[in-house]
Amino acid sequence: MIPALVDRRVGRGGGRCGEGCWDHAARVRISGRGWAPSGRGASARDSQGTGPSTPPHNAHRPAPPGNAGGERLQGIYESARLFAVAALVVFSFVAVPSFVAAQAGDAGAGKTVYERKCAGCHNDKGDGKGPAAELLSPKPRDFTAGLYKIRTTANKVPTDQDIFRVITDGMPGTSMPPWAVLPEKDRWNLVAYVKTFAAEKFKEGPKNLELPKDVASSPESIKRGKEMFEAIECHKCHGTDGRADGPSRAELKDEWGNPIPPANLTKRWTFRGGAGRTEIATRLANGVLGTPMPAFLDSVEKPEDIWHLTNFIVSLGPESPRYATLVTVTAVSDAIPDDANADYWKKLAPSNIPLLGQVIVDPRNFNPAIDLVSVRAVYNDKEIAFHLTWDDPTQSAADPASKLYADAIALQFPPQITPGPERPYFLMGDGSDPVYLLRWENGKGVSEATANGPAKIAPLAGAEARGKAVYANGQYRLVIKRPLGAADAARPAFTPAVFTPVAFQAWDGGAGETGTKMSLTSWYYLRLEEPQSNRRFVIPPVVAILTLAVMLLVVRVANRRA
Amino acid sequence: MRKVIGAFLAIALVVGVAAVAHRPGPAGAQGGGTIEAAVTYAGAPAVEKLKVNKDTEKCGTEAVIEKVVVGANKGLANAVVSVPGAKGAPKAMKVTIDQHGCKFVPHVVAMTPGEVELKNSDDILHNIHTYSTANPSINKAQPKFKKVMTEKFEKPEIIKLTCDVHSWMLGWAAVMPNPFFGVTDASGATKIENVPPGKYTVEAWHETLGKQTKEVEVKAGQTVKVAIEMKK
Repeated sequence: MIPALVDRRVGRGGGRCGEGCWDHAARVRISGRGWAPSGRGASARDSQGTGPSTPPHNAHRPAPPGNAGGERLQGIYESARLFAVAALVVFSFVAVPSFVAAQAGDAGAGKTVYERKCAGCHNDKGDGKGPAAELLSPKPRDFTAGLYKIRTTANKVPTDQDIFRVITDGMPGTSMPPWAVLPEKDRWNLVAYVKTFAAEKFKEGPKNLELPKDVASSPESIKRGKEMFEAIECHKCHGTDGRADGPSRAELKDEWGNPIPPANLTKRWTFRGGAGRTEIATRLANGVLGTPMPAFLDSVEKPEDIWHLTNFIVSLGPESPRYATLVTVTAVSDAIPDDANADYWKKLAPSNIPLLGQVIVDPRNFNPAIDLVSVRAVYNDKEIAFHLTWDDPTQSAADPASKLYADAIALQFPPQITPGPERPYFLMGDGSDPVYLLRWENGKGVSEATANGPAKIAPLAGAEARGKAVYANGQYRLVIKRPLGAADAARPAFTPAVFTPVAFQAWDGGAGETGTKMSLTSWYYLRLEEPQSNRRFVIPPVVAILTLAVMLLVVRVANRRA
Repeated sequence: MRKVIGAFLAIALVVGVAAVAHRPGPAGAQGGGTIEAAVTYAGAPAVEKLKVNKDTEKCGTEAVIEKVVVGANKGLANAVVSVPGAKGAPKAMKVTIDQHGCKFVPHVVAMTPGEVELKNSDDILHNIHTYSTANPSINKAQPKFKKVMTEKFEKPEIIKLTCDVHSWMLGWAAVMPNPFFGVTDASGATKIENVPPGKYTVEAWHETLGKQTKEVEVKAGQTVKVAIEMKK
């Protein structure tokens, strides 16, 4: 199997991850074991900890005990970060460069490593046409052109450090994985070897890029950045809210003629050259070579606008998606709004769930368009409501003539919630164990179905579920509601305090996704919070008083005997 | 007072620039002959049309991509006619390419190595993205407030110009090693003056139809006509 495919979507590796890291690592393990086509086939039935679809973080890692625990972890993390920053400051006074010093690599030794690790995608000849290239998007780099996307220089020639960094950290959001697992010497040897594919391009030598003086982020700077974002029309490609849905999106091609989507600026963890401020400012200043992203250093009103833009882009989204391991369904007593744009939903913290391409059954989806769904959920005494948010750059309804399909999303549950680790096969069940699907489709709305595998989906009669989606600036927001109880054996009943398996599937019809060409998750869990009652305020004091009374009694009896 | 000085300086600048621009060509080219080239194409014009989904107030609602423009008497427009073998120092010239109505105007520009002025008259974002091998290729944003940018094309080659924001925009800059060239007009005609006498191979290049050549002998003080037919 091709490592690049399997390791897709790994965040910035190495020792530099933030909080999302553990989950990243977990996802990689899942990918490595289960997402690749496996011999188990559709009849396999999962059991906890052994099946290909079992999220290891669910099995081995207890869910954080509510928000308090999360905050405590956060606190520990914060202090660790402070310590790290302090250490770094001290370190930099000792004048040790904070990056790995460039080493002269041996191209001959690099060739051996290249042929073993890189040629699968980049090809022996370095032209980016390896056996796996056909399936990848964006395409692997053609080293013979000597054009490097990510560089910190003013001209087209990257520094050795630039190439080393991409090898080490990979390119998030693409098939290029971080190769920090290779010994450092091997990576420097690789730098020397890939340069030989276009030796004449490196004759000139890199020219130092001087960024304007850094401007720290502030509300004023972000405001100015937004003004500049509009003035230089970043939205033409990146969209009004930065979700890669600009009107030029469909026209964009790289210098080899392959379609290339603009970056989703709200998902910084997918930035090819890194999510840091200096990295973003550098991309803005000198562009991304070989792609439509131009250089803006001389094309902003004032040089420092590069930093205002950077600060604005950073303000558009978090550095890390902080993937969730559990979806908590909040208990409420009031009515739940139908409007997906209602402020009501903004007050609830989302659980971010990563989605991967379905690569088990044909036709497979090697380059899924939807990589994340944010889930909010509440229930009252009558119904349960799911609020789903996901980015889709094109709003599309079914139009078979132009190979466009309807955008869609589905929640999957076992029809019966049984105690124990047994669950139906995560890919829409199988012949013996069906799943229940709660599905929304653009143009058709919400429907329910029973599935015995992706090819056997039967609609469920009796419209119990309802919901409505809104679409704006490259994002869907959807509210799906359903009664808590089950009308029949094909539908699950939702019970407080029970760990209920849930999985997600999504389709971007505008990207040609339909049927098994989808993105999906394995089983996650959702848990309905127990309804709050006054008992928790009464019982503990009563217990405390009784204990005290017993103790006093014991002391008294003992005293009397003495 | 300031205004007067300002106005005087402005006039001086304009006169100065005009004087430089009108400097006579290199002395060696005096006494040469003239080539009148007529480029024809027997095939049909090729025009692609595309629905525009943005900036329609500047670009119009339909983008017309003119791949082959054929005028009266099969005359082929936008062909670059050159005399690669002729000896003559490149004369100083400044060419301008305007981005106007989401088109490169002119569509094809021929120039000697040097500076090119890139104008943006559209009041919207364009990006100059060049495809070249001898010259460093560039991809620079030109937002609406950046009315003029200057770039250098210093080595002879034919450079493709594109704009990624408006993917239908296409232009060409033919950088020539000597000053003996012309771009055909709508009737397929162009004139190359002051060519030193001698026998040459005249070359016609077209973006879609490629290259054709013709032998020609230039005599001092005379005009020689050359007809070149482009083939698919």
